[in-house]
Amino acid sequence: MAQLDPTALDLPLAAPKRGIRVGRIPIPGWLALLLRNSKSRTGLLIVVFMVVIAVIAPLISVAHPNDFNLLATRQAPSWHHLFGTTDQGSDVFSQVVVGARRSLLLGALAGAFATLVAAALGITAAYVGGIVDEVVNLLTNVFLTIPAIPLLVVASGYLRARGMWTMIAVIALVLWAFEARILRAQALTLKNRDFILAAKTSGEPTWRIVFGELMPNMISRIAAAFVLVFYISLLVDSGLEFLGLGDMSATSWGVTIYWAQVNSTVLQGEWWPFLFPSLALGLTVLGLVLVLAGIDEVSNPQLRTEHRRGRLLRLLFGRAAA
Amino acid sequence: MRWFARRLCFYVFAIWVALTVNFLLPRLMPGSPISGLLQHLSPAQLAANPGIVQTYEALLGGGHHSIWQDYVTYLHRISHFNFGISTSNYPTPVSEVVGRTLPYSIFLVGVAFILSFLIGTGVGMVAAWRRGGFTDNVVVPAFMTVSAFPAFVLALVALYFLGLKAGWFPIQHAYDSNIVPGWNWTFVSSAFRHAQLPIIAIVAAYTGGWVLNMRTVMINTIGEDYVGMAKAKGLKDRRVMTRYAGRNAILPPLNGFAAQFAGAVGGLVFIEIVFSYPGVGYTLQSAVLGNDYPLAQAILVVLSVCVIVANLIMDVLNFVLDPRLRTS
Repeated sequence: MAQLDPTALDLPLAAPKRGIRVGRIPIPGWLALLLRNSKSRTGLLIVVFMVVIAVIAPLISVAHPNDFNLLATRQAPSWHHLFGTTDQGSDVFSQVVVGARRSLLLGALAGAFATLVAAALGITAAYVGGIVDEVVNLLTNVFLTIPAIPLLVVASGYLRARGMWTMIAVIALVLWAFEARILRAQALTLKNRDFILAAKTSGEPTWRIVFGELMPNMISRIAAAFVLVFYISLLVDSGLEFLGLGDMSATSWGVTIYWAQVNSTVLQGEWWPFLFPSLALGLTVLGLVLVLAGIDEVSNPQLRTEHRRGRLLRLLFGRAAA
Repeated sequence: MRWFARRLCFYVFAIWVALTVNFLLPRLMPGSPISGLLQHLSPAQLAANPGIVQTYEALLGGGHHSIWQDYVTYLHRISHFNFGISTSNYPTPVSEVVGRTLPYSIFLVGVAFILSFLIGTGVGMVAAWRRGGFTDNVVVPAFMTVSAFPAFVLALVALYFLGLKAGWFPIQHAYDSNIVPGWNWTFVSSAFRHAQLPIIAIVAAYTGGWVLNMRTVMINTIGEDYVGMAKAKGLKDRRVMTRYAGRNAILPPLNGFAAQFAGAVGGLVFIEIVFSYPGVGYTLQSAVLGNDYPLAQAILVVLSVCVIVANLIMDVLNFVLDPRLRTS
């Protein structure tokens, strides 16, 4: 579901040297750079907000997410049930805040796993070159050609148990190609730099050059690629749960949306069990997309919007969109 | 021409990998899917179709043959498009189920994807040309925001507001229930009306990507000398935008077509389910949930081939549009 796939992920090689201080809190250089850009600032705010919600979920949820109360089913949002109740009488607000934990964790872990595979394969291929590079490049392109969602649907269909780690592994193994393409291209531009040649002449083994020289110098690019795959796996995971192909006993955004769809609540005019988890999902993805767009602008000054901003837009979307 | 031959070789290889992945998947997963599959057929039904168990074993494993023998049988069956009988549609063969549902999906995703490409590149082009203008400041962020939502959410929103509340579009199925499919006006017009809402949902979900890509590339292209030269010659603004900057800027997004189209085919699965649209996506979900693995396998093969064929068409287009490819 790579609906938004920024083509240019060209980052400055090294993060800015100096961090800044706000009062007594030191802010590292990379964060200062991201906070200076209005897009990534808004994006970071949204993502941090979601993570905070996920962390404090047990404190703010009013009921256990799967508690049902047949006397209070299908209730519209009210002060008592902020996001309304499902057809089983479960509190949707609790489901959304508790579900944030699993959804975010699964997305992040699948993203991290895919990044690991992609970085190891892509960077090694670019550095070693020759037949290895050809094979990895071919494999990446083939995986980009096979439609990922149908592949995931069929793969998870064969699974007997669909626990969290199984889903993470399956999603990561299908999505790594998205990143490997980007990281390989970027490693290619690095491999002939002097410091790599120096390491090579001093007799460093290949694995140390890849993991000790190339990877640390690409850390900002790897982080950007991680953000990309993070939100793709967030979307993919919720999508699989929406199809009934995830761990359906867990509490997550996708599972809540699945039950809303199965009970066709939308067709009966009950929009709340579907709308609120979807909004949470969309907002998180938007936040991550904005972070990525901000990274893009920081590294490519040509993309920065000129200061002739529309007043209407600032009203509608805040400074982030302008 | 060598470039073209290379692409063809790549596509043949990609199809082979897709087939092999399809072959290995059920064998790598814990437990054999074949027992779950055979539960759906009664002994009488099995007796009525001699050889069906062998076909299933070649597709899914769990037989007594070695994996290499299975692989040869599997490739042979696939090349004849023999996936056995679809257990959830007994006694219809899998190939017939796919053949019945595929046209709907191709129609849906084809029309929607071309529309979102045209709208997306158009908007991206204008946004980059008039930086800070209305398109750049309002339309582009709007598309970005909409595209951040998963396809099924957009589909449900469209269904609720445009279909249910406003009542402008039919919300379910591919045609009115009292019509028999055929090449006549009542069916075609009905099918067309039912396709509108799904198409709107796909366009909403996938246009944002094109807008963003096109805008980024276009901004870089506008800085090129030949664009400045065209402006200096006093050519009309619109002509410089479309024929000079736009035509060159469109090539990189076109190269990202593979990933975009594969993504849209994935989104199709969700959209068909929301609208109960009887295409391959809808069939795929019910096949997987109902243990009808041969049908699921066949659909994965067909979808992979569709994406590859679409890529091939795009390559031809690229060849026509990019003179550098023709001379090299």
